[in-house]
Amino acid sequence: MTLNLPAGAITDAATISPLALFLQADIVVKGVMIGLLLASIWTWAMIIGFSVTLRKASRESRKFEADFWKAEDIDRFYEARGKAGFPAAKVMAAGVTEWRRSTAQKVIDREGTRDRLSTVMSSTIAGEVDRLSDRLNMLATIGSVAPFVGLFGTVWGIMRAFTSIAAEQNSSLAVVAPGIAEALFATAIGLFAAIPAVIAYNRFSHGINRLEAALSRFADGFYSTLSRELEAQR
Amino acid sequence: MERAEKIGLGVATAGHVLLFGLLSAGFLSTPNPLKLNSPPMDVSLVDEVALKSMAPQVSTQPPPPSVAPDEGPTEDAAPAPEPAPAPEPTRAPPEPTPAPPRAAPREAPAKSREKPAPPKKAAAKTPAKPKPAADKPAAKEKPKPQKSKPAAAPAKSSAKSAKQSDAPAKASGSGKADKPRGSLLGKDFLKGIDTSADAPRKAAPAPAAAMGPAQKSALDAEIRRQLKPHWRPPSGADADRLVTLLEVRLDKSGALVGTPQVIDQQGVTASNRPQAKLHAERAIQAVKLAAPFRNLPPEFYDQWKWLRPLRFDARLNR
Repeated sequence: MTLNLPAGAITDAATISPLALFLQADIVVKGVMIGLLLASIWTWAMIIGFSVTLRKASRESRKFEADFWKAEDIDRFYEARGKAGFPAAKVMAAGVTEWRRSTAQKVIDREGTRDRLSTVMSSTIAGEVDRLSDRLNMLATIGSVAPFVGLFGTVWGIMRAFTSIAAEQNSSLAVVAPGIAEALFATAIGLFAAIPAVIAYNRFSHGINRLEAALSRFADGFYSTLSRELEAQR
Repeated sequence: MERAEKIGLGVATAGHVLLFGLLSAGFLSTPNPLKLNSPPMDVSLVDEVALKSMAPQVSTQPPPPSVAPDEGPTEDAAPAPEPAPAPEPTRAPPEPTPAPPRAAPREAPAKSREKPAPPKKAAAKTPAKPKPAADKPAAKEKPKPQKSKPAAAPAKSSAKSAKQSDAPAKASGSGKADKPRGSLLGKDFLKGIDTSADAPRKAAPAPAAAMGPAQKSALDAEIRRQLKPHWRPPSGADADRLVTLLEVRLDKSGALVGTPQVIDQQGVTASNRPQAKLHAERAIQAVKLAAPFRNLPPEFYDQWKWLRPLRFDARLNR
């Protein structure tokens, strides 16, 4: 890619300059463009933030899980690493807390303890998934709505272009072309925001599903371990 | 807002600003491809499309100058020619011999009064004079002045005899040449008639050179007649419905210029579609075999230099 464009190319009327297109546009189309541009920025901010958060969460959870199964003493492992902020540690912390509370009593209600352990850990998983996928619906919304918003801007701009044809009584391409170009620019921005949003939404919802499945597996394993411990305690 | 989201927002904003700036600087713009340097093209819709007008063309040449006689003596009075034509046809033939003696003395004094060269004048005038003399009756009876001319040229005597009729009028008129001329004929009554003395007038392009419907159909028939031996339309279901229209260019000798082009093909249906291409190929083949075309009228070259459309149907009859 070379940048040795002639100096006149920048000011050439045929060159598509987003700034020029934006400045020429109608106030409605301008509003649509600004909104879509903000949506695009927000989409990318979420994409970047999400991928960082999700990758960190799933990587640390995986590592934590692997370390957990290798650990000999659950209590000691909990004291060492159970206070971390990532989902698997929280699930484990919830389980361990509930275990300690339940076994602190004189008479242990085994069925009740199992129920409570199961409920606490699954609700912790649900809470973590909820927290992670908090803004995922924003991506879905942008992905589905941005093309329509862009289309609205385009329709509006083309309507305006046709009005200008009617006003000038001249249907030559030179009269129509700028209006249509600026109108189509709105759809371009809409698609520019929507396409990454849709891709990211699918990708992240898949990633969160996988994380949720991994946490459930971990919780089930931890639950069976605790359940076994409960059997052993007489 | 978590830290990761703050980072994401910052990166996204920076990326958008960068992209916007690059687009504004024309980084991704396509150079305008429509820098075509096409010179204006002459388009003539008339030349090869329409038949020529059949209306006669107006000549651009000026009409010949008036050759009406303006000699004073011969056009004297209105009544003079009136009695003359009646006796002339009967009187002139029977008395050829007495006429010269009578006419000569009468004319000679008349001429000698005008100019002092009687013999030369008589010689010079006599070929010229019969013309108006003959023209006058001719204008009254029938518009052919040639009849008297040969008579005047070979023999002076016969010309003089023909002039006998107006001789009396001249004799009286020659004396008073300043009398207002009373000729009934306008000065320009010969306008438009081709005279040999005039510069040779080029005949205006005759309207017949343009093509009439009859000649056009004859030309078409001739072309078809020459094409027919070479035309073998394909056979098959519905193949007789196919019509191929060709565009053929011919040069002045009737030979092909370039290759015949298929303009259109009509009557293509689902059942004869396989034959359609063959039909067009055979049509082109027929033109190539029939060329060069003979017996095409060269004066109508404009009409057959560009045969479009040349229609090939099953029987080649239209």
